[in-house]
Amino acid sequence: MIKITIDGIEVQTDREITILEAAKQVGIEIPTLCTFKNLSPSGSCRMCLVEIERLSRPQTACTVKITDGMVVRTNSEAIMRARKAVLEFLLINHPLDCPVCDKAGECILQDLSAKYGAAAGRFKEGKRTNPVSFEDPVIVRDMQRCILCTRCVRTCDDLQGAFAISVINRGSHSLIEPFSGGRFDCEYCGNCLSACPVGAITSKLHRHTYRPWYIERQVETICGHCGVGCTLTLQMRENTIIRVIPDFEKGLNSGMLCVMGRFGYDYTEHEERLRSPLIRKDGELVPVSWEEAVEFTAWRLKELVKKYGGGAVAGIASGRCTNEDNYMLQKLIRYVLGSNNIDSAARLFYRPAVSYLERMFGQGITANLIPGIANSDGVFVAGGDPTTINPVLGIAVRSVWKKGGKVFVVGKSGGLRSNIKHELNHAEGAGALVLTWILAKVYEKKNFISENSIIDKKLSALKVPDMDMLVRVGVSPEALQYTADELVRLKNPVVIIGPETVLYGNGSKNLFLLGALNYVLNGRLFVLMDEPNTQGCLDMGCSPGVLVGGRPVELETFGHKMENTAGMKTPEGTGLNLFEMINGANSGSIKAMFVMGENPVFNIPDKKKVESALQKLEFLAVSDIFLTETASLADVVFPASAWSEKDGTYTNLERRLQRLRKGTMSSRGRADWKILADICKALGMKESYTDVKSVWDEISRISSVHSGVRYESLIGRGGIWPYGGEPLRGIEGDFEVEGLEDMPELPGFAQSGRVILKEDKSLIHSSSLSRYSPALMGVASEPLLMINPVTAQSLGLSDNERVVITSDKGTAVAILRADRGMPEGVAALSNTFKDNGFRSIVGYTIDPTLKSLNITDRVVTIERAKQL
Amino acid sequence: MPQVTTERLKILRGKIYELMELYPSYQAALLPSFFVAEEIFGFISPEAIGEISNVTGVPAAEIRGVASFYAMYKTKPMGRHIIQLCTNVSCMIEGAYDLVEYLKEKYGLTPGGTTPDGRFSLVIMECIGACGTAPAMILDTDSYENLTKDRLDTLLESYK
Repeated sequence: MIKITIDGIEVQTDREITILEAAKQVGIEIPTLCTFKNLSPSGSCRMCLVEIERLSRPQTACTVKITDGMVVRTNSEAIMRARKAVLEFLLINHPLDCPVCDKAGECILQDLSAKYGAAAGRFKEGKRTNPVSFEDPVIVRDMQRCILCTRCVRTCDDLQGAFAISVINRGSHSLIEPFSGGRFDCEYCGNCLSACPVGAITSKLHRHTYRPWYIERQVETICGHCGVGCTLTLQMRENTIIRVIPDFEKGLNSGMLCVMGRFGYDYTEHEERLRSPLIRKDGELVPVSWEEAVEFTAWRLKELVKKYGGGAVAGIASGRCTNEDNYMLQKLIRYVLGSNNIDSAARLFYRPAVSYLERMFGQGITANLIPGIANSDGVFVAGGDPTTINPVLGIAVRSVWKKGGKVFVVGKSGGLRSNIKHELNHAEGAGALVLTWILAKVYEKKNFISENSIIDKKLSALKVPDMDMLVRVGVSPEALQYTADELVRLKNPVVIIGPETVLYGNGSKNLFLLGALNYVLNGRLFVLMDEPNTQGCLDMGCSPGVLVGGRPVELETFGHKMENTAGMKTPEGTGLNLFEMINGANSGSIKAMFVMGENPVFNIPDKKKVESALQKLEFLAVSDIFLTETASLADVVFPASAWSEKDGTYTNLERRLQRLRKGTMSSRGRADWKILADICKALGMKESYTDVKSVWDEISRISSVHSGVRYESLIGRGGIWPYGGEPLRGIEGDFEVEGLEDMPELPGFAQSGRVILKEDKSLIHSSSLSRYSPALMGVASEPLLMINPVTAQSLGLSDNERVVITSDKGTAVAILRADRGMPEGVAALSNTFKDNGFRSIVGYTIDPTLKSLNITDRVVTIERAKQL
Repeated sequence: MPQVTTERLKILRGKIYELMELYPSYQAALLPSFFVAEEIFGFISPEAIGEISNVTGVPAAEIRGVASFYAMYKTKPMGRHIIQLCTNVSCMIEGAYDLVEYLKEKYGLTPGGTTPDGRFSLVIMECIGACGTAPAMILDTDSYENLTKDRLDTLLESYK
């Protein structure tokens, strides 16, 4: 027990903490500038000077640890003089331009100067001048205002792990700059600007448009860009979002945000937002009233069901919509129209991956907590870059490295490049080879005795490739040996699975290998999720085989429960999945479709096929916030409300239920659940819902997973898995692995002049939604083709050139960008930009075991674009 | 100024790998690798920093911070020959500023600048420890003392 006295108040602690922390415990405030939440102490601003008895000089409270019997004074006259002097020093070069500074009103330097500062400085020399950098689309850097507390640099290095900025020069010439000296060219997470105590690094988005005291309202909500579900605060004035700021006290992200969350909120204000419902009349979509659109939709659906039966109707749900929206869509399709044909874009990766892993290990196997990753001593990543798909989860992976843990990445290391010791970047198509070798070695070294005979039997059946094969696919024996040796030593490992494991190659085998590796290592599984509520979409029964709560349709008891509790009769038979719906529409067995918040034309490969299938439908209704490629084919379009305009719940990739709160009070559209409930009502549904809470109440009554979870209780840790209800126990029985005993084939190397195309997941963009965000478009405005520099050279192409990519399925135009992380003969294109999306120019097949998307027709030619 | 070519970057890479063997940590190899970069490119070019970062794994922004911290590294392009002229107290008294003025007149050379033909760069030094024989300068790696305008003139003629 350590006892100290601060300003005559006795403080007792059992830990060695700093004087600053001890003072805080008893409510004594010591002014600080360079100390910041989650950052290690630096002691550079000298603002927190305190007197310690028997020490001749004042000491910095933020760095000095307490010792027993210490007597500290924080408010003596000498200390007041010292604070005044420190501020005088800090203001020597500060321009004192508070009237035009965005930070004024919440600036710590301003507050402290008002409280302690000298009215005038004694320095007669001129102030240091540095030009203001406006070179970046979202961040303004004004180094005149900088007080060199290095909070931004420490945030960038220690928390974000991007190492983009540094202190340049020395002494009074010091300033903070990125490598280029101009543009940041970094991850644009903007965490440096929430760390800046003054106005040196500020957001360009709302520059000179607000004052902190102009904020009329603020709400705590969940980011709507990816599957992490970061907590953030929306600040509003007159119904528009002025800015997004992080909340350091709440949420799983402890104050960290990524570029999409912090800057990508402005799509809600895009001028192309749909403003009123549209109905196709004489081939043109024309604005109509809400009543007309709802009645027309109900009438058409009723008519088509009468004519062709419920099985002719299908629904596509969305991971961008809330649980309540998705629940209501499946209610419409299943219980009002009588069809089990409901699926979502989760089918494209997340749903097959998670359900396969749950088949192996039981429901909830992927429900692990993201902040817990930081406590791990090793992370194994395969199939995608967590720092771009789920950036804040990626930060957690980097923090493992920061603490001395090991990070292993199979494939392109991307944003984790500086966190790994050896690259395991294999030739395209050789992932299963590498994974098999690693798994077999770890299994052998661990001397693992499995309790699961099914997995055990499959593990022994694996054919292990020899080192020669692995060297031929470009992996070094040293790297492999290192990975196997270190993996075995891990005490608390994490395995992260990305979309590439399923999208290319043998999905079930890749998933089995990773699942088994996690099982042998006794680790925690995470599956990357690129939309905020893909998991919730599945939990709400938006998948042909499962009902609300993830219960299989075949389980009759659950069907009875639905009938007894809600009077809803589940239709018979397993419905069609996403691909079967497209085929059904093509062949004419599907006549009507309701698409909610999804853009299948752009997101399912083979654009031409999907487009022509949807055109053959007798009736297509779409609810969305923009007139997407899909919506422009529709017979009825409903304007939905965007993420910031509605209440509801999201389920993130750790299966944590979180509340989305309405920020903007007026919306151009209506919440999807409301639109759907109106249609259901028009079709004869008995229940009526007053608000989103009443929808949730029904869900928690029906779903055995969510049973008893109250809407109000979903705050803080309230929504962590398992919720009130009971998860399904592990499903006993065998599962299928395609080609388990086959030796993975050596990939066929591309012929000269031809390149294999992959999907690039950019950090800046979240699928096609972010193309409507001016801020994100400002950072990355054009489609990029990432390609290995050697391959680019062999094609006679150079960096920043405009190129045309041609496949059997179509063409796209992009700017070539040399990227050493790409294996030779491989290029990557994003699926974001209109008319130039990756998925529009490739084809697909269905994985026989997973029933998931397997992308084909990836061989392309790349040529220099003709001059315009 | 030597052009940045893949060959030159390759030479730099090889040298850094050698240097990394000599030091306990990669960070420690930074300072000597700056000299190598100067030797190859005439100054620590952004491309060179990129290469050092790739090889050592030290972030590029941090390398730039280190390089800019020390005054004697060349962080911008310099002439073929570097005149490091002292203007501290003794040299100043003995007329170092006249020499600065003369260099400006004859070669158009300003402190911190480079002649248009890329022949000379002028760096103003603090004391170089030659107060007894002031004014003094270091030209590339040679030191010259008791300078006068005439002597400077003849000396510089021999550096083409």
